[in-house]
Amino acid sequence: MRTYLRLLWTFFRVSILGELAYRASFWLQIVESLIDLGTALAFISVVFSYTRALNGWSADELLTLIGVYFLIGGTINMIILPGMNRLIEQVRQGTLDYVLTRPEDAQLLVSIQQIDMWKLLDVLLGIALLVGAMLWHGSLPGPLQLLAFALTLLAGAVIIYSFVLFLATLSFWYVRMENILVIFESMYEAGRWPVDIYPSWLRAVLTFVVPVAFAVTVPAEALTARLTWLVLAATLLLAALALLASRLFWRFAIRYYSGASS
Amino acid sequence: MTAVATVNVTHLRKVYRVYEREAGLGAALRALFQRQMQEIVGVDDLTFAIEAGEIIGFLGPNGAGKTTTLKMLAGLLYPSAGEVRVLGYVPWRRERAFLRQIALVMGQRQQLIWDIPVIDSFELNRAIYRIPPAQYRHMLDELADLLDLAPLLHKPVRNLSLGERMKCEIAGSLLHRPQVLFLDEPTIGLDIVMQRRIRDFIREYNQRTGATVLLTSHYMADVEALCRRVILIHHGTMLFDGDLTRLVERFSPYKTIIVRLEEPADLRPYGEVLSQSEDHVSLRVPKSAIARVTARLLTDLPVLDLSVEDPPIETVIEQIFTQEEVV
Repeated sequence: MRTYLRLLWTFFRVSILGELAYRASFWLQIVESLIDLGTALAFISVVFSYTRALNGWSADELLTLIGVYFLIGGTINMIILPGMNRLIEQVRQGTLDYVLTRPEDAQLLVSIQQIDMWKLLDVLLGIALLVGAMLWHGSLPGPLQLLAFALTLLAGAVIIYSFVLFLATLSFWYVRMENILVIFESMYEAGRWPVDIYPSWLRAVLTFVVPVAFAVTVPAEALTARLTWLVLAATLLLAALALLASRLFWRFAIRYYSGASS
Repeated sequence: MTAVATVNVTHLRKVYRVYEREAGLGAALRALFQRQMQEIVGVDDLTFAIEAGEIIGFLGPNGAGKTTTLKMLAGLLYPSAGEVRVLGYVPWRRERAFLRQIALVMGQRQQLIWDIPVIDSFELNRAIYRIPPAQYRHMLDELADLLDLAPLLHKPVRNLSLGERMKCEIAGSLLHRPQVLFLDEPTIGLDIVMQRRIRDFIREYNQRTGATVLLTSHYMADVEALCRRVILIHHGTMLFDGDLTRLVERFSPYKTIIVRLEEPADLRPYGEVLSQSEDHVSLRVPKSAIARVTARLLTDLPVLDLSVEDPPIETVIEQIFTQEEVV
């Protein structure tokens, strides 16, 4: 485990060095994050100027949700999507061959190979929003609630990771897959609101087709004392299954790649 | 079969399944529902063994199956039939102990990361291969010394010329001191000086470490300079496996006679005139007739100088491949 952490750290360090070469993107990221944040807050203030609660979510609770949205979104954009986009590129250019000749698990290598560190800003912003929401609400969540939050947050990240890995792995068969990741990104934006405000068909899509519900709504529910034991258990189980399924699919894809590519 | 061979290949075969469709929109739409599958034989019935420390050249035109063979030996492709052992391992199981001892360099595909300095890409390899710090520093110094890398290490890869990049690509693949090197067109696109540089380095590495090197190249000069033994592949099958010199003997039915004359004369009756300058004439003569033609030239004409040479290897190989094409 320690060697894996060291490997992750080396990748992270090298990514930071790479990113530092482009200072402009740091400023761009600040602007982008602030615009995202401004839009999200403006929506809330508009909505709550007409009503006191949105489908049972009060303003401070919705702020919690947006905090989770930024936190998870930042993580996805920082680690998961850059690596997967590069994987698609590697399949197309044939440089995945190099990854496969390394004496290390190929899935691990492609998953951590690129880190867009400026997205850390969104993660920090998310944490700040969560703290702000708590202060606004006036009470701190109990230890059990915090534990549930941490677990669901982790489960949500794992579910999204598995899902994106599955999409990117499809590029072994269908070469043009970047577009599908773009579709994923815009679907993720729907996670800005609790999924229960959407019509049932869309809620179903956001839960089971593009698992945004698990990534954002469920952790926010954990923090706002809405989470039932059943949903918690189901989320953890789903995360484990998703990880296993994506792993199996990845291995199947590598086997196919080794059989068919030239 | 020798048990100590580094590489052992028996009856290796690789068949690709390719989906084909005819041109046109109609065919494209039909292909959405029903695809025409065709089997293409990439490599067929290859058998050879390579001893530790050898440098072997794989020769063949584009699409002959060189890269396919190399990829199967490096564990990237499953064969359709046959057996392969490299350092005693089955390559496509990709066991870590195996992967730690090999390196693959493809001249056309880059592995260093574009935006970061070379040394940081090296650092990543150090972490992935878990090279101990002392060994890493030692190897890096050695490679930097041999390839003159010092001025390049701290530049981002995107700022390097093609030749500089290739030097770094090769160095980066050798940091873990691999026992077996697979080099696919390592000098492609490089200028003559850089080609020679890379070539000298490969030889040096081979001598210093005793590593086995399997090389494919389009440049005959690479192969002539590095490989005593070559394997000739065409349409996936092996045409020849042995010494370069024997290749010429075996495949060229001709030799070249170069004569210098006191005065110009018409040499066409003696053989096919390949070139003629003021006093030099090159003649292509069947091997079996060499002795007879030489004797006749010496008695018939005022010969100042005469030598018999093998045709250039490049010409011989070209002939082999074009002849095969006709058959």
